[in-house]
Amino acid sequence: MGFLLVHALTGLAGASSLFLVASGLTVIFGVTRIVNFAHGSLTMLGAYVGWTVLTRLPRDPAWFALGVAGTAAALAALGALLEMGLLRRLYRSPELFQLLATFGVVLIVQDAALATWGPDDLTISRPPWLRAYVRIADERFPVYDLVLIAIGPAVLACLWLLFNRTRWGRLVRAATWDREMVGALGVDQRVLFTSVFALGAGLAGLAGALGLPAGSANLGIDLSVITEAFVVVVIGGLGSITGAYLASLLIGLLQAFGVVLIPKATLVLVFVVMAAVLVLRPNGLLGRGGAPTALAGTATPVRPPTRGMLLGWGLLLLAALAAPLVAGPYALSILTEAAVAVLFAASLHFVMGPGGMASFGHAAWFGIGAYAAGLSAQGLGVPMPGALLLAPLAAGVAAVLFGAFVVRLSGVYLAMLTLAFAQIVWAAAFQWVSVTGGDNGILGIWPPAWASGPAVVYLLALTLCAGGAAVLQRVLYSPFGYALRASRDSPLRAEAIGLDTRRIRLAAFAVAGAAAGLAGGVFTFVKGSVFPGFVSIPHSMDALVMVLLGGVQTMAGPVVGALAYTGLYDGLLRATAYWRLVLGAAIVLLVLAFPEGIAGAVQRRLRRA
Amino acid sequence: MLAVEGLNSFYGQAHILHGVGFAVGSGEVAVLLGRNGAGKSTTMKSLIGLVRPASGSVRFGNREVARMEPFRRAQLGLGYVPEERRIFAELTVMENLDVGRQPARDGLRPWTPERLFTLFPNLGAMRRRPGGRMSGGEQQMLTIARTLMGNPRFLLLDEPSEGLSPLIVEQMAAAIHALRQEGLSILLAEQNLHFAAEVATQAVILESGRVAWTGSMAALRADAGTHGRYLAV
Repeated sequence: MGFLLVHALTGLAGASSLFLVASGLTVIFGVTRIVNFAHGSLTMLGAYVGWTVLTRLPRDPAWFALGVAGTAAALAALGALLEMGLLRRLYRSPELFQLLATFGVVLIVQDAALATWGPDDLTISRPPWLRAYVRIADERFPVYDLVLIAIGPAVLACLWLLFNRTRWGRLVRAATWDREMVGALGVDQRVLFTSVFALGAGLAGLAGALGLPAGSANLGIDLSVITEAFVVVVIGGLGSITGAYLASLLIGLLQAFGVVLIPKATLVLVFVVMAAVLVLRPNGLLGRGGAPTALAGTATPVRPPTRGMLLGWGLLLLAALAAPLVAGPYALSILTEAAVAVLFAASLHFVMGPGGMASFGHAAWFGIGAYAAGLSAQGLGVPMPGALLLAPLAAGVAAVLFGAFVVRLSGVYLAMLTLAFAQIVWAAAFQWVSVTGGDNGILGIWPPAWASGPAVVYLLALTLCAGGAAVLQRVLYSPFGYALRASRDSPLRAEAIGLDTRRIRLAAFAVAGAAAGLAGGVFTFVKGSVFPGFVSIPHSMDALVMVLLGGVQTMAGPVVGALAYTGLYDGLLRATAYWRLVLGAAIVLLVLAFPEGIAGAVQRRLRRA
Repeated sequence: MLAVEGLNSFYGQAHILHGVGFAVGSGEVAVLLGRNGAGKSTTMKSLIGLVRPASGSVRFGNREVARMEPFRRAQLGLGYVPEERRIFAELTVMENLDVGRQPARDGLRPWTPERLFTLFPNLGAMRRRPGGRMSGGEQQMLTIARTLMGNPRFLLLDEPSEGLSPLIVEQMAAAIHALRQEGLSILLAEQNLHFAAEVATQAVILESGRVAWTGSMAALRADAGTHGRYLAV
């Protein structure tokens, strides 16, 4: 019994930290509709700033509390600056662009923290009062964890009072429901948004600083925290603070007991629970269906390619085919990666643009394809053509199985479920060491002799990837493509004329999954290896950045975006150690300069001319 | 008090308003009439700024407001009551009213919830009820009351009689008369000619995004031809 109690208490302490981060995220989303990817980065900065502050203060409880409060205030100020300097300029842009901008901030903060605090984990020294224990049912339990347990409900109560007993809180709740109407009633939304962002950032900073005694300030906090916080926010229901608290309890307890019951699969367990909740309650525990959660934004009609455009594509392809005649091995390897990137981006664009389903976990299909190719080639001795056939097949089948859950949802919830699934795949790749090799990956998967050499590998990748992308484009102008866009733009009307919208969306999901799987399979033979990184959040983000940079609602977008991004990435990687900083800044600037994507901007120019 | 000139508004690529112009004097109650899709709601939204006019001028008092953010127009004393009511469903009646609250204005008696409950007695009986659990008529009263909490000088009322029972429509008409007595100027958008005739002094008829006719309500009632051409379904 004592053992159960202590684990339950540990879970509650974890739930408090989760809640601090998730409550800020959910409030920010509720009012500004911004999915703030940088929220984990704010928590990470809270940890670093907290470390800097606390290591300079006397080590007694009062100074500790003051230092933590000061850190929260500093992060609140930073959040306000972030909102005023960047996000405010993007409220009229599509929501995915705001997301992209916050992802740029994630990259910038990563390198800024690395440059400021260095690569090592930073811990604070723990004076006796921080190491104190109490005896609970014959087990030792840290006093500090008891404090954390109390902080969760205390913050919940404060937030409840703030939102229900002050005018500011009522304005925030009203704006969560209908922010345009709040503006028409004479409320300056900018003030509201800035203060909400400051509150959320302050809570994130609080969580970061409070995590120091039991953990450390390190560069991995941002992505691990943001993933957990997304899970909590989605399970609780977007915009619901009480829901976020319930979900924090659920996840906190799940993690505490999961470590005991199935230590290897805690990550999977968390995401399975999330998927289950979303299937049963598509709007989360306390979320409501009324508020809009669309992500794709309004679409402009697409026209079939003109003769001129087809000619342009043909010339581009000819140039690509001729590249081995002039390019050296290094340039060819970059071009090979670009070809893979084009298919990866085109497949995401397929579900996201015409399909209207913004996937945050597209790397899952890429990774499944890559592992299918790698495992079959290495473990079963399947020759390369067979392995390359298995890759899209495996990814396509997985996409059908999983897509059946996904296509029931829409908007942010759909995006989060895809992210969750990608994390399950990632966790499997990472933790199932006996099959996947875990972090070490699978090595030595090279093409057979006839297909070795950079030029042949390049041409092979080009053929398969450009071919795959061309097929995807062709499908979009087929009757199926029109039905897909009809399902996106007006599901009710599409159903009324006899289209089975779920089945159409599922088919699109499967086609895109298979295409991404093919890209993954090709990549495996290009690199000669498979790693869990293929399925990671940053890799999913790569695809998102490529599609969004190119422009979601243009057919040329993913190609342009993939080429631009691969070029930028490679150039930066060679030019500077702080490539994340530059890349993040470039993303932010591009989003500010082209709120509709590069190809979208070009298209608009052309139409005007 | 409100003078509109050459207003052009778009929804995306669709050109909705083509050079709309009219004026409403201080203390007047004017009505925008016209069939479905004539541009009444778009005109209303352009006046408060929820639709940004591509060109044209909107003078309110002696200020040009056509390029202002909606919240600035509201702070100047332009009150907007949307057709869809747009009640904050999770907030109670009192909380909805509080969101609309703005400082008092010179020369007008400031609105308080208590004063509004004498204007709309039904609301007073349900102060703690969430907006989402009210009937359509109650929501219509609440949306007007909420805008009045901003102490507007000029009220934009988009289809206040739409979808209401005859009894509630009568209450609405009485409320509009009372507001006029308070010194408010009002622009209504209406399809219900009978209701419009009961409350308005001036009429502006829109047809396909253009002003087709303006004049006094009395002249419109006397002119069966105009009525038939622009308003009959």
